Amino acid sequence: MLKKVEIQKLLNESLQTGADFAEIFIEDTESSMIRVISGDVTSIDRGNIYGAGVRLIQGVDEVYGFTNHVTYESILGVVKNLRASFSGELTKTIPLGDKKPYKNNIKKPMNSVSVKEKSEVLQALSNQIKNYDKRIVQAVSLLLEIEQNVLIANSEGIYQDDKRTYSRVHMTAVAQENGVMQHAAESPGRYMGFEIFDAIDAKTYANQVAESAITLLSADDMTAQVMPVVLHNAFGGVIFHEACGHPLEATSVAKGLSPFVGKLGQKVGSDLVTAYDDGDVEGAWGRLSYDDEGKPTQKNLLIEKGVLKGYLIDYRNARKMKMDTTGSGRRQSYKYSPTSRMNSTYIAPGKDKFEDIIRDTKYGLFAKKLGGGAVDPATGEFNFAVQEGYMIEDGKLTRPVRGAMLIGHGKDVLFKIDKVSDNLEFGQGMCGSISGSIPVDVGQPTIRVSSMTVGGSGGKK
Amino acid sequence: MMYQDWIDLGLKKGITDLEVFAVRNKSMKLSVYQNKLDQHVQSDVESITIRGIYENKLSTVRFENLSDAHVDQLLDQLMANAKALTVVEPAIIYEGSKSYPEIKDELFDFGSVPVPQKIDLLKNLEQQILANPFVTQVQTAVYQEIDTETTLVNSKGLHLSRHNTYAYVYAEGVFQKEDDIKTAYDIKLAKSFNEFDVKQMAEETIRKGVAKLGGKSIASGEYPVVFSNEMFGEILEVFSSIFSGEAAYRNMTFLKDKVNQQIAGKDVNLIDDPLHPDAHFKTGFDDEGVACSKRYVVENGVFKGFNHNLKTATIFKEEPTGNGFRGGISTTNFYLEPQENDFDTLISDIKDGVFITDLVGLHAGVKTISGEFNLQASGFKIKDGKIDHPVKMIVISGNFFEAIKHVKGIGADLKFGLSGVGSPSVYIESLMIGGEA
Repeated sequence: MLKKVEIQKLLNESLQTGADFAEIFIEDTESSMIRVISGDVTSIDRGNIYGAGVRLIQGVDEVYGFTNHVTYESILGVVKNLRASFSGELTKTIPLGDKKPYKNNIKKPMNSVSVKEKSEVLQALSNQIKNYDKRIVQAVSLLLEIEQNVLIANSEGIYQDDKRTYSRVHMTAVAQENGVMQHAAESPGRYMGFEIFDAIDAKTYANQVAESAITLLSADDMTAQVMPVVLHNAFGGVIFHEACGHPLEATSVAKGLSPFVGKLGQKVGSDLVTAYDDGDVEGAWGRLSYDDEGKPTQKNLLIEKGVLKGYLIDYRNARKMKMDTTGSGRRQSYKYSPTSRMNSTYIAPGKDKFEDIIRDTKYGLFAKKLGGGAVDPATGEFNFAVQEGYMIEDGKLTRPVRGAMLIGHGKDVLFKIDKVSDNLEFGQGMCGSISGSIPVDVGQPTIRVSSMTVGGSGGKK
Repeated sequence: MMYQDWIDLGLKKGITDLEVFAVRNKSMKLSVYQNKLDQHVQSDVESITIRGIYENKLSTVRFENLSDAHVDQLLDQLMANAKALTVVEPAIIYEGSKSYPEIKDELFDFGSVPVPQKIDLLKNLEQQILANPFVTQVQTAVYQEIDTETTLVNSKGLHLSRHNTYAYVYAEGVFQKEDDIKTAYDIKLAKSFNEFDVKQMAEETIRKGVAKLGGKSIASGEYPVVFSNEMFGEILEVFSSIFSGEAAYRNMTFLKDKVNQQIAGKDVNLIDDPLHPDAHFKTGFDDEGVACSKRYVVENGVFKGFNHNLKTATIFKEEPTGNGFRGGISTTNFYLEPQENDFDTLISDIKDGVFITDLVGLHAGVKTISGEFNLQASGFKIKDGKIDHPVKMIVISGNFFEAIKHVKGIGADLKFGLSGVGSPSVYIESLMIGGEA
């Protein structure tokens, strides 16, 4: 690792030729993945991401360089290459300040628990899935552990380290009967070490994936139609993530590409919708103490009672938009320049009761488990998949359906939310965008969208 | 040499056999926005993967911190991890194939072209796209050049290497007509700088974008569907994993007991060809050092067998197929063999159908195990054998295993994507479309 005085010298060197901002991001990440298939520990792999990224900005123009050779000479080489892009007067750096403490309440870090102990927990989960029903033909459990150590220093005096600890448990069940093969998966994750198993009820998840795979065997293919959709809590929040979260990121807004450009203070959704992006939810998969630009994370109000209140803004886009940063600068690793990203994004709880929402729906789709989704922020068109759904007929959940795909438009879907219940939960995912793939939470209570286009392969003659 | 030192260190620790797989990636990327250089990225990163066999079991470590102390620590970790595996599966470090195909690829030095010339290329591309009255902006115009050197060294005395250089240019335009906003892009990968044709790329982007404007949804129902070469290629890419020997071994593919059975229409030939002349990348050996060769995965609709790495080949008592990549199994250049129909002939007998030119959300709307796909799509209506109005905001649904049994026509327009998967346009007898009520 580099000494503080060396980093200061590198930052000073960076501003010699006209750049007015310089940042150095040094990363050392260790990860481990243990995979259990049908009760057998089949692979244990170890990974390491190690390197430094240097960013120089002049006005709003940016140059970025990175290397896995973390020495003063090597990084100085990167700096000299990068600064050649600029010409202009020297800007003085603000001397590096002191590191502030980051929250470090991890109880069981990766290396404090033996591989054997971890493997045994996973073997029990895999066996539990496998033994749920004789139609389960495959049961996979997997533990991903990541410890990301970062140091962020910039020419405005920020000198901040952070240690991020993530654990995620993947469980997959494959069921087969009469030539039909279906699978279901759950992947709870936390900003925690091995104590994740104290925080989540892994056995219940294991039963759920097995049950879900069995249910899907006999489910009908969804028939394409336009209908009301009740989106269940937790991962149902993917609708807000895709339809509104991405278009509220400064990466879209600064270029004028999002349907939410210029709409601050205006109605963008129904009165029932209040939404936040929170960078510091205790123990949450999407949390950070400091963002990847060294700024403390914060809770950002995005929408209040249907009125647009804020965007997610990183350092560089803050300059473009002439607004403040929101602690939202994130990147997958030193191989990416940071930009505005989400952390834990959710629709706040309302007053409706889950049972009442179902009872109040004459005909519709109950999307119990959601899969991933996608959005084109420029057009606002988004989609996301339903892993496990049920038809609602006369206010009751009737038969299971599979393969439903929901599509919509960001600028009108929020207006169509006509019920918001009180059962807020989070779900975990990896979010991909221009600064790479990062852990995020999506979240919501159960909501109802009055009308959506639903696709599916059912109803074929 | 550093790699040999690591191997010697591992052997000294008691690791039976080990292999170093090193990738050095040098890259330079430029993006232009509103006639200005927006971002300039330079990088040089070396990543190492060491696979080792200890107590007859194989474990892997990947790292970028190349210091001796760190490697020493990781080798200990590798041994502990191998020890903790509860199942003994075939673990092989390869002595090498008898011979390897010769790759005659140009190694153009993209660094020899001055950066301002590359920036000008992007500015030029942006301006030419902006010249169209429906274009409101070019949201990204990117140039990236990549130089990759790969080295494989193992304790069985194998030493292989390859070197590859290429660059690509990508631009995405935003098109608007009244309230309707659409995006369209073109991407071109080149092995030397003067292959880039800005005029052609701008025209292609504009052609795609303008054609999409004014699209509407269509009534939900069953339609004959033609996929563009690019889109069927994307579908093939997602489903390529079902042909993996690992999936067969793990009971994770529908094809498990279907070797030598008819799984697709008689016209369907799916080929894995590491040396295909039209593909962007050619490779003579896989990541385990096995020589690559051309192979029919599906021939005249009959499934010929799974793609194997060293492990699954041993399990199934077959020869390795040279498909061991990144610790698992994947295809090299995998494509659907084209036929003679030009596009107009392909769609000529469709009275009321859909031509799909865009698919969104392939990571979420596809279930490779069951074969189901449900995808947001857009494209064009086909009416009385001709392309009609643009169609947007629809969902296309079907099952891959069913679809390949009902291929009614295959075009001549084979095109390889950047991922190495290629396809011509494909006409499927019928699929479900979700649209308006």
